[in-house]
Amino acid sequence: MVASGTFGYGFDAPQVDRSALGAMVTKGTTRAARTGNPPVRIAETASGMLNAIGLQNPGVDYVAQTYAPQWVEWDLPVIVNIAGESIEDYVEVARRLDGRPGVAGIELNISCPNVEAGLQFGVDARLAAQVTEAVRAATEMPLMVKLTPNVTDLVGIARAIEAAGADSISAVNTYLGMSIDVARRRPALANGLGGLSGPAIKPLALRAVWEVASAVEIPIVGVGGIFTAEDALEFLLAGAAAVQLGTVNYVRPDAARLVRDGIVAFAADSGLPDLGDIALRPRRKAVHV
Amino acid sequence: MTVATLRRATVLERSAPMRTAVELVLHEPEAAVAAKPGQFFQLGVDAQHTLLRRPYSIAWANPDLGRIGFIFSVVGAGSAWLGAREAGQPVELLGPLGNGFATPGPDRTAVCIAGGLGIAAFVGLVKGRDRLGRRTVVLLGARSSDWLLPADRLRGAEVRVATDDGSAGHTGRVTALLPRALHDDVELFMCGPNEMLLAVVRSCRELGFPLERVQVALETPMGCGIGTCLGCALPARGGGYLLACQDGPCVTADRLDWDRMDGI
Repeated sequence: MVASGTFGYGFDAPQVDRSALGAMVTKGTTRAARTGNPPVRIAETASGMLNAIGLQNPGVDYVAQTYAPQWVEWDLPVIVNIAGESIEDYVEVARRLDGRPGVAGIELNISCPNVEAGLQFGVDARLAAQVTEAVRAATEMPLMVKLTPNVTDLVGIARAIEAAGADSISAVNTYLGMSIDVARRRPALANGLGGLSGPAIKPLALRAVWEVASAVEIPIVGVGGIFTAEDALEFLLAGAAAVQLGTVNYVRPDAARLVRDGIVAFAADSGLPDLGDIALRPRRKAVHV
Repeated sequence: MTVATLRRATVLERSAPMRTAVELVLHEPEAAVAAKPGQFFQLGVDAQHTLLRRPYSIAWANPDLGRIGFIFSVVGAGSAWLGAREAGQPVELLGPLGNGFATPGPDRTAVCIAGGLGIAAFVGLVKGRDRLGRRTVVLLGARSSDWLLPADRLRGAEVRVATDDGSAGHTGRVTALLPRALHDDVELFMCGPNEMLLAVVRSCRELGFPLERVQVALETPMGCGIGTCLGCALPARGGGYLLACQDGPCVTADRLDWDRMDGI
């Protein structure tokens, strides 16, 4: 599948053959429209890029009323990534998407600051569980929760999210980083800090999947710096049931097809009928599919 | 909406139009037909540790010969890699992308004001107008004569030059040449560093020249080039942002919030 924020709402890259995708995850969507952060919003770094887009999006009502009816026509499940500043925000966004034709599921972006608590939902097991539980109660759609890696106890947070009723976990979101424009003596991004993505974070993301996969029973969707079929296979071997492609979509609009074809070729060459079952460490029996 | 197409082009020749820039001439017939002045391509780079494609505006395109020219200076690993491509080597192109310049009416004079390598965006525009026998004035500014595209690349245009160090033309900023060039029949085009764009806008306001008649070719860090990453946002008049890749790169200057452009 394609990762949140790297494919918009699916309408900007008409040349991409959607049949190469298992699913599309949309741009992070909030209760009200957001205009996003001031520029500069992105900066390339060694084998990676930083972004601080600021959740620019048209708001959940626009998404539900304008985009979702178009997705109904697509032969592709669309998972809407949702974000908020309070549990009430998340619940309201989920409620407005619940049961909407064209929306196949929800991915919860818990890397947003909680205005009341003053820290990100995703960095605290109790807050992460609270928001997961609240959204779980608001929707019967498949619920995937996206872990932020900028934490001390990733496994503990993953377990709390599982216990709170998530159907799956995507791991991981971007790593917090920064770049400084030496000539202008100021941070390269107007926001100062940004999220690092791309091949630079792949070993880190892989480790996160490796650790979380052996700690929870629900499926893990691996994400972080995957550019090639071999990268994707590493995540499957680490215990992921599926993968998301992110930054590579900016570089190669045909990335999903290349990666998928490479995985299919690997499966054929190695005589493995079921790549969902190639994890190096046995996963505990999955209770959800 | 632009349908972005990945294309494999071949380098026909590489040259240095001036000491500080590289000109890469690529062969890709379909792209050369599709490319309009002011549009851009995302050029694939395979340099160590780089990631993103490089967005370069089309300097010129020759649909008859299937050629596209890009003029750029080497500023980092990506442009260094592209600037080292040799005849016969492949370069991957995504595009043409974005909106090009709107064509002024036949009775209008096009005044193109460029700072540094901003002139690259105007080479094809000047050539096209010369072919149609239309009047074009180029106001070309640079820090020194080393950075000036030779005037023979702008044949058919009246070229007026300003350099910071006085090594060619007027000594000082290129915006000093504006008042004499802005007549009633003029459509103004601008491309260059943000400071120059801001200075041009200030001059236009002082001279009462409407920003609706100023087209700007925007340059900003860019991720995907096709509207998905939202990385190339620039402040829009009335709030929010424009995307340089999708709403631009060529827009009329009245669509931007120049107060918020200051300092970017």
